[in-house]
Amino acid sequence: MTAVLRPTAEQEYAAELTALAAADDRQRPSNWRLSPQAVVTYVLGGTLPDGTVITPKYVGERRLVEIAVGTLVTDRALLLVGVPGTAKSWLSEHLAAAISGDSTLVVQGTAGTSEDQVRYGWNYARLIAEGPSENALVPSPVLRGMRTGAVVRVEELTRMPSEVQDSFITVLSEKSLPVPELNTQVQAVAGFTVIATANDRDRGVNQMSSALARRFNTVVLPPPATEDAEVDIVVARATQLGKALELPAEPPALDEVRRVVRIFRELRNGSTVDGRTQLKSPSGSLSTAEAISVIASGMAMAGHFGDGRLGADELASGLLGAVVKDRVSDAAVWHEYVETVLKERAEWRDLYRACQDLVS
Amino acid sequence: MTDRVTLLGIRHHGPGSSRMVAAALERVRPSVVLIEGPPEADALLPHVPSLTPPVAVLLHDESDPSSAAFWPFAEFSPEWQALRWAASNDVPVRFFDLPAAASLSADSASGGSVDPIALLAEAAGFDDPERWWEDVVEHSASDPISLASAVAEAMSGVRSSLVEGVSGVVGEHTLRREAFMRRSLRQALKDFPGEVAVVCGAWHVPALTGPLPTATSDNALLKGLPRRKVSGTWVPWSHGQLAAESGYGAGVDSPGWYAHLWEHRSDVVPRWFARACSVLRSEDLPASTASAVEAVRLADVLAALRGRPSPGLSEVTDAALAVLCGGDEVPLRLVHRKLVVGERLGSVGDDVPRSPLAADLARLQKRLRLPPQLEPKQLRLDLRKENDRERSKLLRRLEVLGVPWGKPDRTNSLGTFAEMWQLAWNPAFAVSVAVAARHGTTVASASETVLRQQADEADRVARAAEVLARAVGCELPEAVEAGRVALDRCAAAATDALELLAALPELARTVRYGSVRGTDPELLRVALHGLLARGAVGLPLACRGVDDETAEQALSVVDGAHEAVRLGADEPHQQTWWAALAKLAATPDAHGLPTGRATRLLWEAGELDGDAVAAKLHRSVATAFVAGFLRGSATLLAADQRLFGLIDDWLTTLRTADFDDALPLLRRAISDFSPAERRLLGERVSAGAVEPVDDEWDEAIAQRLATHVRELLA
Repeated sequence: MTAVLRPTAEQEYAAELTALAAADDRQRPSNWRLSPQAVVTYVLGGTLPDGTVITPKYVGERRLVEIAVGTLVTDRALLLVGVPGTAKSWLSEHLAAAISGDSTLVVQGTAGTSEDQVRYGWNYARLIAEGPSENALVPSPVLRGMRTGAVVRVEELTRMPSEVQDSFITVLSEKSLPVPELNTQVQAVAGFTVIATANDRDRGVNQMSSALARRFNTVVLPPPATEDAEVDIVVARATQLGKALELPAEPPALDEVRRVVRIFRELRNGSTVDGRTQLKSPSGSLSTAEAISVIASGMAMAGHFGDGRLGADELASGLLGAVVKDRVSDAAVWHEYVETVLKERAEWRDLYRACQDLVS
Repeated sequence: MTDRVTLLGIRHHGPGSSRMVAAALERVRPSVVLIEGPPEADALLPHVPSLTPPVAVLLHDESDPSSAAFWPFAEFSPEWQALRWAASNDVPVRFFDLPAAASLSADSASGGSVDPIALLAEAAGFDDPERWWEDVVEHSASDPISLASAVAEAMSGVRSSLVEGVSGVVGEHTLRREAFMRRSLRQALKDFPGEVAVVCGAWHVPALTGPLPTATSDNALLKGLPRRKVSGTWVPWSHGQLAAESGYGAGVDSPGWYAHLWEHRSDVVPRWFARACSVLRSEDLPASTASAVEAVRLADVLAALRGRPSPGLSEVTDAALAVLCGGDEVPLRLVHRKLVVGERLGSVGDDVPRSPLAADLARLQKRLRLPPQLEPKQLRLDLRKENDRERSKLLRRLEVLGVPWGKPDRTNSLGTFAEMWQLAWNPAFAVSVAVAARHGTTVASASETVLRQQADEADRVARAAEVLARAVGCELPEAVEAGRVALDRCAAAATDALELLAALPELARTVRYGSVRGTDPELLRVALHGLLARGAVGLPLACRGVDDETAEQALSVVDGAHEAVRLGADEPHQQTWWAALAKLAATPDAHGLPTGRATRLLWEAGELDGDAVAAKLHRSVATAFVAGFLRGSATLLAADQRLFGLIDDWLTTLRTADFDDALPLLRRAISDFSPAERRLLGERVSAGAVEPVDDEWDEAIAQRLATHVRELLA
């Protein structure tokens, strides 16, 4: 059997979802698979009365998740905002999986997203053969979500052109989508709502109109507050990825993860942990997600080309790739960091050598 | 104790407790009410009807007014409700806590700061004790008396479980307070035949019920309490002061929310969001009624999600953040400031006793139309207008009295006729006013006394000059005279030229303002000249053989004095100053810093020519001279063709060995400049001489210089 590369949340955590649904005796809003409390438990983790352990999907403040779930209960749309790599899409996928059991109703926002993908398109062969009819209509994920009463995810809302963004206004305020060609409209079934994610720091975003922004409740997802929290996230995710990719490597050693997280945090914050040295920040965002991928790629290298243990050599190349996005300025930043900070840390000597080898 | 006692255990400043107290008093109709508070405040009770909360009882030691404490009351405080009820029903009230005479001296008057109701609420999973009270306590018992007994029972449980070894949690101070409460309660039972109602912190209820210690043991515990004469008054208080954790605050972090809970029994959350929206709209932030509706729904859902019967402050805040503020903390802070704290200033009636000084202050505030306001506010005063000048006088005199109501804003110079002030009243100023009351009966006389005292105590020239300057600002002729006498006295005793000169800037400013301030400027000018003459003579000597620290001081003194002389001295004395500078510059073994600066000043004024300066620069290559010469003049160096040329010439003609010697000091001189200034300078250097000073523009030398300077600027 060929395994899929990345199972959806509802596939991967099917057992947890079933256990939660079985143990859940609270009231569920219509068309919800779980009660709001159970959704919060699913996201933040916990232990069920029957002993089933629910793994935490999101590490962070409980009140943020509560606000997010509460918003969806009130059939308001939810907007998750944050810098890249703060688990916006991750959270939205898991919320959709827990609430509707389906996280695949996704509209991906890009500069090329057209209104067809938000409203509906036409099957032109049918349209020409039969004229406009219900059968010739190709529904968008939004339309399907409205019909079935499911959660629709909109990724990178602010990357869409403004006029496409604004086509959400009717959907969100009227909860219906008119189809003038058929002289009809599709009315949303209870349970339908939208989770959008947006990035407030990237280049190439189109600011949301205030008319649209008003229709969302906004939750700002902060970067992990402490180094320990970030290390936990990276370890959990990297181990998961390692399993999914069937890497022949051991789970990453905590020390190596801590090194990567510390380097990322120091470069992101522009100063060393002890606050003594000022650093320049590179152009990339150096998110937690990138730290995870550095660890994962390091594990892949160690597994296939090394001794199966993640070490300094594997990290060095990953770090270089993650930090240096702009060849000139970022390379200088990285070089300075290696020479002023890495070099000074006696127990990091191996990493310093590996980084130097790579440069020369 | 007996059936005649009704114990009402409360949460201090808890609106839920307030309701219980109000209802219970109405039901029991006691013949006397005992309230937790210092008995010295009993004398102030007749004034309750004329007060508008928040107000506070201010008590201070008569012999030492600065040893003072406040007992604040807000509209929603149970104690206040008890006071109000008693006042409107003509029922006597007694405060029955430990006398202030004893608690003023106890270091930690807040010893018993356990909030047992908050502990219970927390155990029940609530983070807002007031909502817990309403949802759990009030809903379970609608009868106030049975509610009170339920509270008492719960407290006995909490206290016995928390306090295994009594002395651990309940400190000595608390035990004494409770002994005193019992004694007062016994006395009240003796004095009044009817019902006795007791309003005190829930924590103390177990100490007043059940099998009590004997009166004898209480008396033993209370033996040797300090006796002092304590007096006080009612003062206006504010929500901000209630919220403050430190100082005289009550540690109520959300007085505005409590006031809201007290004022509105129904539709608490919708009314709250309606107010939040209007706060945001008043700052031109979008907040529609539709958003308020959504916020209410979200708050309700969040409460349900967290297993609470109704939304508390945290749910309301979360909902406001997500719906009304778009996840942005900045507008949320506005909501917090305006609503959660909800700034409000109480007032006291005219019949409330106050010191003559406080009365005079109130009169002046009224006359000058300068009411005390909590919100910081800018005030621009035009000293040519009578009213503005009086205001300035008042603010300055209050500053002297230790009441910094206005802070002078010296960020931008407005000339001699205008002043900027930052005004912000703080209710705790009441203490300073009470302390100052012993100095006089009016603001003018009290500040004059203080200034004259300061003048008498001044032992240094700079201090005397400062007192004199303040006296001139306050326009108090006798204090001005005292300041002048003090200045003369200190100047006569001073031997250090730097000390004499350091007083000049303050004095020069005073001379300038003197004309506006109704003081004869000539008087001051004479003083200035006297100091200048003596200081100038001693200056070169004072800079000889000194260490680097003193040299730094000398540098700033020279700068300050130079400015002062330009501002305030007449022509002959300006000449004296120049002569002193010249002498300093020519003193061979004086420290480089002041010498360098003197040389610069002389050169700028044309008293020295470029060659002489260059010679000096060459001669003192490796000394602090260069630093003193260049300090603080980066912009000038970049912009002034002459100065740049001078330094340029000097650098380029240095011998290699000399250059190496000069490099560290030069680098030090330049490292004083800010990065922006260094960049400016660097640009100036790399741009080359825009207009070459002479025709022989040597590309090679310029290149060399540029390289050197670039190295320096690194």
